[in-house]
Amino acid sequence: MTAGLAIDVVLATVIANRLEAITREMGAAMLRSARSPIFAENRDFVTAIFDDRLRMVAQTAYIPVLLGSTPFAVEAIADFFAGDVADGDVMILNDPFMGNNHLPDVTVARPVFHDGRLCFWVLTKGHHADVGGGGTAGYNPEARTVWEEGIRITPSKLYRAGAYNRELWTMLLANVRLPFLVEGDLQCQVGATRLGERALLELLARHGRDVVDAALAETLARSEAQVREALRAIPDGVYRAERQLDQVGRGPVAQPSVRLALRIDGDAVEFDFSGTDAQVPTYHNSTYANTAASCYNALFSSIDPDIQLNWGSLRPIAVRAPEGTLVNASNGAPTTACTTALCVLIVEAAWQALAQAAPALGQGLWHRQGIAGMSSGMNRRTGKPFAVIHHFGKGGSGAVQGCDGWDHISPVSSMGGSRAPDPELFEMRSPHLILNYEYRPDSAGAGAWRGGHGVHYRVRFTDGSTTMALAPSCFSPETAPAGVCGGLAAPPASARIILASGETRAFDGPMLFRPEPGDVLDVYSTGGGGYGDPRARPVEAVLADVRAGLLSVEKAARDYGVVVDAASGELDRAATEMLRAQRTGSNGKPDAE
Amino acid sequence: MAFRIGVDTGGTFVDVVVADEGGGLRLYKVPSDPRDLAGAVLDGLAEAARDQGLALPALLAQTERIVHGSTVATNALLTRRGARAALLATEGFRDILNMRRGMRERPMDSRRPPPLPLIPRERIYPIRERLDCDGVELEPLDTAAVAATARALRADGTESVAVCFLFSFVDAAHEQAAARELERELPGVHLSLSSEVLPQVRLYERLSTTVVNAVVSPLLAAYLDALGRRLAENGFAGSLLVMQSNGGVCSPEVGKRFGVRSVLSGPAAAPVAAAHLAGLAGLRNAISVDMGGTSFDVCLIHDGKPHVTTEGELAGHRIALPMVAIHTIGAGGGSIVGVDARRMLKVGPASAGAYPGPACYGRGGTEPTVTDANLLLGYIDPGLFWGGRLRLDVDAARRALDERVARPLGLDTLHAAYGAYRVVNENMVDAIREVSIRRGHDPRQFVLLAAGGAGPLHVGALARELEIPLVLIPRLASVFCALGGLLSDLRHEFTTSFVTPLDTVDLARADAVLARLRKQAEATLRAEGVAAADADLQASVDLRYLGQFTEVEVPLPGGAFSPAAVAALAGEFHRRHEAVNGYQLPAHGLEMISQRIVAVGRTAKPTLPELAVNGSGREAAPRGRRAIYWDNALVDVPVYAGLALPAESLVRGPAIVEQETTTVLVPPEFDLLTDRRGNGVLYRKDLDPDAALARLRVEAP
Repeated sequence: MTAGLAIDVVLATVIANRLEAITREMGAAMLRSARSPIFAENRDFVTAIFDDRLRMVAQTAYIPVLLGSTPFAVEAIADFFAGDVADGDVMILNDPFMGNNHLPDVTVARPVFHDGRLCFWVLTKGHHADVGGGGTAGYNPEARTVWEEGIRITPSKLYRAGAYNRELWTMLLANVRLPFLVEGDLQCQVGATRLGERALLELLARHGRDVVDAALAETLARSEAQVREALRAIPDGVYRAERQLDQVGRGPVAQPSVRLALRIDGDAVEFDFSGTDAQVPTYHNSTYANTAASCYNALFSSIDPDIQLNWGSLRPIAVRAPEGTLVNASNGAPTTACTTALCVLIVEAAWQALAQAAPALGQGLWHRQGIAGMSSGMNRRTGKPFAVIHHFGKGGSGAVQGCDGWDHISPVSSMGGSRAPDPELFEMRSPHLILNYEYRPDSAGAGAWRGGHGVHYRVRFTDGSTTMALAPSCFSPETAPAGVCGGLAAPPASARIILASGETRAFDGPMLFRPEPGDVLDVYSTGGGGYGDPRARPVEAVLADVRAGLLSVEKAARDYGVVVDAASGELDRAATEMLRAQRTGSNGKPDAE
Repeated sequence: MAFRIGVDTGGTFVDVVVADEGGGLRLYKVPSDPRDLAGAVLDGLAEAARDQGLALPALLAQTERIVHGSTVATNALLTRRGARAALLATEGFRDILNMRRGMRERPMDSRRPPPLPLIPRERIYPIRERLDCDGVELEPLDTAAVAATARALRADGTESVAVCFLFSFVDAAHEQAAARELERELPGVHLSLSSEVLPQVRLYERLSTTVVNAVVSPLLAAYLDALGRRLAENGFAGSLLVMQSNGGVCSPEVGKRFGVRSVLSGPAAAPVAAAHLAGLAGLRNAISVDMGGTSFDVCLIHDGKPHVTTEGELAGHRIALPMVAIHTIGAGGGSIVGVDARRMLKVGPASAGAYPGPACYGRGGTEPTVTDANLLLGYIDPGLFWGGRLRLDVDAARRALDERVARPLGLDTLHAAYGAYRVVNENMVDAIREVSIRRGHDPRQFVLLAAGGAGPLHVGALARELEIPLVLIPRLASVFCALGGLLSDLRHEFTTSFVTPLDTVDLARADAVLARLRKQAEATLRAEGVAAADADLQASVDLRYLGQFTEVEVPLPGGAFSPAAVAALAGEFHRRHEAVNGYQLPAHGLEMISQRIVAVGRTAKPTLPELAVNGSGREAAPRGRRAIYWDNALVDVPVYAGLALPAESLVRGPAIVEQETTTVLVPPEFDLLTDRRGNGVLYRKDLDPDAALARLRVEAP
């Protein structure tokens, strides 16, 4: 590292942006060449570059919660192989207790050497179609330990100094049900790191190591200063919030909670989870890496969105997560749902705490995720195995001051960055037929700015063997997306299975579902929470939702005090004025809060 | 004498370039009229005729081809003033358009409102019908529902209908049957079938592209019909061609049906011309910047080609067709200067357009614009604007700027005007950064190519800010898009999907598939009047490893299938896959997904003079001097008559060089060399232009 090398701002910016562009190019290559729709369609992966001191310097995050944990993964790999890192090595890791989130997210990292010296690490991490174990597509809602979830890959080398490690590949592929997809996607990750390496070597050849290092130092310092400035703008104090999980088991069992004390102290912030409930014997637990990553999601979605997430911008953030709790489970605990269930809880708690600190930062809560999760099996029509994500059941995002929520958007673990599957490719791959995939009326939380809408998703299982992961999400008023600053909560979600026989089954805990041909899954996802008093919403905006068929006249009157004639669709102005005036005169408090 | 004419209509001016057989190029500029664009085009052509001493019919009778780019489709989309459109969608899939695949492009940006859909939900009609992924009918089309919907649409004044059903790219029968019902009930209403607009898998992408087509096509069709009629009335019997977003041209018949292919009809031509001109100077890397009256378009040209993408969108609307990747912001001579809510200076994106236009046009405009500011700063001679045909009113400009900007901000007029100049420049610099620095390219290693009437006044300042050493200012800068049209070939893609493993491909069947595409391609080019000798058909196929989602395009050697060609395809696929994705899997099987014929109808192009750059220019004599306001002070600078300059003249900055339709401002840090054709090379004083050129030639990023 060259201290004090003078470098002009334009060059520093060009280099920093080039590094970001390299991670985007790596991501584009993965989208192009992947085998599983989880990469190619859902974009369930991240790419990043670390310097030789393991500082994250650039990244592309379609799923930010995967990204925030990569510093822990690269540290675990570099630690494990200390003194044994060679040009041409490619490392792999998925063990949640060595710096990963959960087993299906497999990290592939490559050290980059320039003039014989280690300069960078390039990394990709993505959700694989299968990691063995007792579940489906990496999810086992019935697991009680990590060993039932799949194979633990501790830091290992896929390539040693450029040589293919046949023993490891053979052993890994023997331990998964879908070796065709897993091999293709691992190669796709290796290829992306190769592209990253090529591009970094070009950059180093053009500018020289010293200039690149100076540019990085400049960039990291600027990012850190931006975050500190944003934190200084939030009033100092300790802000507390608590959010509860949906049911973790079948039948009437306790729903554990995450408890957060958010400490703003000048230009630093601490997320303190002391007092959070103990870890559970189900896959909801979070690892420390995943908890930290979720805190980053909560903060970076609340401050200036142009701030880049890197080593510098993470420095002002501390995370305290006691071991043995939901937010830092001990070695051996199952964790597959941590990127969904626990990440969501942490972000919800953090947003509620931030809203107390500064109402303008408040965000209505989003739908949680994962009622209809993954399915995999054998497709008799194509003769091929398949693994697909049913992310058609996305819900709405929460409203913020000045802005309605987004309808049907991927949840806070990706902040809208992951992509819903294409229905046509989905049906071409899997033995599933989509019967319904459109907005669910009345699913948005009311507010001066309302939440986005949820979806009614209905799918029929047609032919072939399928195992599907199902989990309750937002099923109760306590776990449905809350409103903020006077905005109302979105109504709870619901789901049921309609068997081919016509019999209907509810499910009240995470489960593996093995449908018979003709069975139907019927999901009503929820919308996002509202922001501000719904009676302050302009009448025209309420009317537009009624005309679009997204808001019933009953809910328009009840939540917004807007009276619409059901038959004609016309606004009753006088009745509306009366109702709105009357409500302001009474206690005025929205009833669902 | 046979003429070829390029015409580009923007929001502010109509640009005309007339090429004669002798290689001569003449350019004209007349005001645009958004209320009667076809009339404005005729005005431009009449102007050209007058200049050649001909009556308009005489000119048109001798014109073999008119290539036309317009912003009709672009503006329909940008201003959300397209046709009143409705959408018929498969029942159960009503909201695909607005769902946008559940994404927001800036995940951490919680304060950005969701985009408004082009068609509101109440005009999206679910229709009962369903095919499965093999094209098997699971639910017949409810034709009665289509007919009932059509009657409802007739009642509510619908002008355009999009139809997009699931798996229509496998079997279009349901869409076609719906079209028959719609045609019967809604004669004359524009129909967009997704199976015709973009017959490809991926529902949202196909649907959004189809909806854009529905919204823009009726406007483009009405315009092209009016234009064709008026050209014919005035004796034009040649072919009219329309610029497409992919950098190629097509016939009006194609343009009217598929307006979505022309959403960048105007701007796509500038990068084509820029790549061509930079190529003549031996440069493979350029940034074309086009500043007209309303907008500023930037495009990165890398390795001799404008960047083309199928991942594009315009105003937030996804369009999955190949388009030249142009970044546009609202910054032009007509951009309105004002004061924003923070009491800071604001320039654009609103534009005064051509009517009423800048205050100085004296057409009743009261809002100050960038052109008003430039006039007050002394950059423009009020008597020479637009070849002296529009006397600019300095007092009107001063009044507008004083009233709306200087007084509210407590500035004197010149300060306010210079502030406007700097703010609009900063906006443009940021747009250049977006396509270069933010994509990892250092703009200092690119030549800046200035186009558009307003460009040359600003480009020196942009180059100074971005530290770009060299700028090319073609004499035709002010009519660059019109020129680009004349440099474009007819270009169409014909694609079909015959999915098969590559190693067991039925060669005869694959050849039959290609032959069918080739026939379509030949017929299209023939209908557009392309002679067989000018037609170029390139065959390619899309391959991937079994089970992948994305294909790699590989040219089919020899244009026909044979065991040797198949082996060559596989070898080339592995190589290309390694290059773009970083790995290859030679032991893995391949599948062929689609077959393609790209049909190019080569057009005769005007020969453009090569830029003669040579550091030994002689210092030219100015025709006068005037004071300009620069870096917060009045500076007395020489003024040169651009076209009267002797060949290879050297102009030392600061200076003003006036040409017929544009003015070049040479900042103090730069000098300008002209060649004998009136092209200009602006280069930093600390460099000699030959060295600057040579450096840009070798430093291919």
